[in-house]
Amino acid sequence: MTNPNQTAPAAEGAAPAEDPTYGDIVWGQFAKRKLAIGSLWGLISLLLLATYAPVLASNKPFLWHTASEGWSSPWLSSLFDRNFYENSVDIFFNVALVVFTPALLPLAWWWKKTASLKRRVRAHKRTRSIQATIALFVVVFSLVQAFPQQSPKTVYPDIETRLVEQGEDVTAVYPVLKYSFRKISLTEVRAPISLKHPLGTDNAGRDVLTRLLYGTRISLTVGVFAVALYVTFGTIIGAIAGFYGGRVDIAIQRVIEVVICIPSLFLILTVASFITERSIFHIMVIIAGVAWTSPARLVRAEFLRMRNLDFVSAARAIGQSELRIIFNEILPNALAPVLVAATFGVARAILIESSMSFLGLGDITVPSWGQILNTGRTTGIWTLILAPGFAIFLTVSLLNLVGEGVRDALDPKLRK
Amino acid sequence: MLQYTIKRLLLTIPTFLFISLLLFLVLNIAPGRPGAANSGQQGESTQQEQKESFRIFKEQFNLDKPILLNMRFNDTQEEVREWLVAAYNLEGNATAAERIAAQETLDDHGNYLVRHLLPLLADPDIEVRKVANNVLIPASQLRFVSERRGDIDAARKQNREISKRNQRVKGWVWDGDLSEAEQAALAAGWKDWYAENQADYTWTTTEKAEAFFFDTRFAKYWSNLVHLDFGISTADRRPVFETVLSKLKYSLSLTFISVILAYTIAVPIGVFSAIRQGTRLDSAVTVVLFVMYSLPTFFTGTVLLRLLTEGEPVSWFPTGNFQTMTSDPMTTWELLKDIVWHLVLPIATYTSVSLAALSRYARAGVIEVIRADYIRTARAKGLPEPVVILKHAVRNGMIPILTLLGGLLPSLVAGSVIIEVVFNIPGMGQYIYDAINLRDYNAVMAVLLTSSMLALLGILISDLSYAFVDPRISFD
Repeated sequence: MTNPNQTAPAAEGAAPAEDPTYGDIVWGQFAKRKLAIGSLWGLISLLLLATYAPVLASNKPFLWHTASEGWSSPWLSSLFDRNFYENSVDIFFNVALVVFTPALLPLAWWWKKTASLKRRVRAHKRTRSIQATIALFVVVFSLVQAFPQQSPKTVYPDIETRLVEQGEDVTAVYPVLKYSFRKISLTEVRAPISLKHPLGTDNAGRDVLTRLLYGTRISLTVGVFAVALYVTFGTIIGAIAGFYGGRVDIAIQRVIEVVICIPSLFLILTVASFITERSIFHIMVIIAGVAWTSPARLVRAEFLRMRNLDFVSAARAIGQSELRIIFNEILPNALAPVLVAATFGVARAILIESSMSFLGLGDITVPSWGQILNTGRTTGIWTLILAPGFAIFLTVSLLNLVGEGVRDALDPKLRK
Repeated sequence: MLQYTIKRLLLTIPTFLFISLLLFLVLNIAPGRPGAANSGQQGESTQQEQKESFRIFKEQFNLDKPILLNMRFNDTQEEVREWLVAAYNLEGNATAAERIAAQETLDDHGNYLVRHLLPLLADPDIEVRKVANNVLIPASQLRFVSERRGDIDAARKQNREISKRNQRVKGWVWDGDLSEAEQAALAAGWKDWYAENQADYTWTTTEKAEAFFFDTRFAKYWSNLVHLDFGISTADRRPVFETVLSKLKYSLSLTFISVILAYTIAVPIGVFSAIRQGTRLDSAVTVVLFVMYSLPTFFTGTVLLRLLTEGEPVSWFPTGNFQTMTSDPMTTWELLKDIVWHLVLPIATYTSVSLAALSRYARAGVIEVIRADYIRTARAKGLPEPVVILKHAVRNGMIPILTLLGGLLPSLVAGSVIIEVVFNIPGMGQYIYDAINLRDYNAVMAVLLTSSMLALLGILISDLSYAFVDPRISFD
């Protein structure tokens, strides 16, 4: 049966079906749950909505033409304008918008083409292309950060009205909502729901829908990055505690106990109040500072269970270094519960951030949902209460549903 | 079991110590000093007065002390001279920030400077001599001992002595230009004074060790803490602990009622939906609970408040507070009714989230247990269904719920801040929120410590009850 001339990869290719990897199994289980898959799509649309917020709402026209100035695109040039977007979150999303939009079609084509390749090759190629995309993103992002632009703040709709009154011929193509999320307009305070303002305006005349759209950026960024931060930290701490055991473990356990006992919201609010110019990056770090205990405990338990298993002994026997054993051998096997905790953690981080800005201790320069809700509470405008509340509720429920899907998919007892 | 209980109880002491250390470090390393917020806003004329009052303020709250460890007895003469030069800009090249920093160092080090300032009175530079003389006066002042505790008469007597000594040097100011003779007289005066009082400004090795650990903010704070003295509020100048205790009853009643309510409602719902697993009613309950679980409390609270209190559409409940503020005497019954009327909305909001989480866990717990063999056995031997469910399934299915209480308590205690701010209830959450905004460190610290202590106790009780309820768990 065996052909000595046949090379190893060809033999692999001749096999009718490859064994599914752990990732394939989990994904297959996850894909069976319609609610979870639907919620995942919901989250992806939220992410798209966040990325494409300037396409939907901006007071800079895509195209601008006057007799004296000629054609220009203020929208494009304002995308990376520090004066227009005060914080890096917007620049981050705008870079994603600019980098990924033209790349979407080639990426989809590439994904389809690689699907027919053998698994090992496919995984390798896909990893490489993802790395390349991230590298491109980082390069563009740092280039944008390195060259701050200094363009004047201009409200184009106002200029347009003035020019039209003067009898000039103006052509301007705006996004659907031609408002900025922070431009105060005292002539349009507390406007009711209308075609012009689909969700009305707040007590400073800012369009609520626009603020809500840009708020998506804030919530998602805080959620994802805070969780990434504390999961990384907690995992490392938990791995050290579980792997080395003994005194190290006891010391880390004590610290974790101490942090758990302190009511986290009190601590978060206290620390937040010390920072005079809070940005949402401070808020991420503060949230991460109190929340790292849960991944640490999970990873510690997994490490304690696994550190004496045969594969670890084997790794030791062939002389692998402790670092390699921790990060290459045990850690990949210990990440399943962390993944579940992280998904729920994003929802929790978003809730904490909204609570902070609801209490006025968040970043006051960004249109965070909690801050909009707080304005609603103090002014009593219904849309300002319901719209951000619903947005928070939607995001949190989607995340919780995805989290439940992940949890069930990882549970071998529920596998059919 | 008893051994385990004692061990756990003893373990709470180092844990609490750790908590206080951590909180203390967080609060003290954080930028932004109390009192600094309201200084520097008035005109130049009052600047000196302000400086003086800020210094007294710092002394009062031990803010002039190093945070954790004291190394100030290791100051050298060169260092002190550098600070003098920087603080008074004698070389003309210090920036404003450097000057302020050096000035603060000089203020804070106080007594530790005296022994280095005296030789500087003979410095070749006349400006340094002058400045050293003028800095010596505040630096030589001794601190009064506390009259709040212990033998008050002895403390008063000691303070009179200290006051007399402090007054003696107050007049030795180097003002304007002094002749050589006058300068020499001043220096000689200081020399005599130092010969008399040298013991207060030099340190033996044991005294150094003592100062190293105990002449610090943390040690002073802890020595007060063991007397249950959490310090004085910088906002209203009243003992913080009294205020916290008076606020505690609002927060605790809120938390307790909502925890009890959540458990009494959640368990039947969970059990009910578990035994009807897969039916349409079960799915409906699951969806409703999921919605309640994902709704943020501040949103629910705001909506309820807006809907039911302000007369648009209805005005069934008061807009907030714990009870009606009136001077009319109320009978106990009326008072109770009034409080319940005020608490309906906050408790409904507060309970909704924990209720949802608990019933989901209760449902999962019962479902897990209901598949077990002993349930089948119970059915097989002909027990009626209610007995099977209530006596066999629910009892065992509730064990995981009990442990949840421990994890729930810290977040419930902290969650009160949102409820109390939204519904304007004068409890601990509202208090810490105001204290945070006023930078009232002692108040913040007191609330954080008391709430941590409460959470610690809650976790302890839930752990013990877990061991008590589940006979499979043995700690001995």
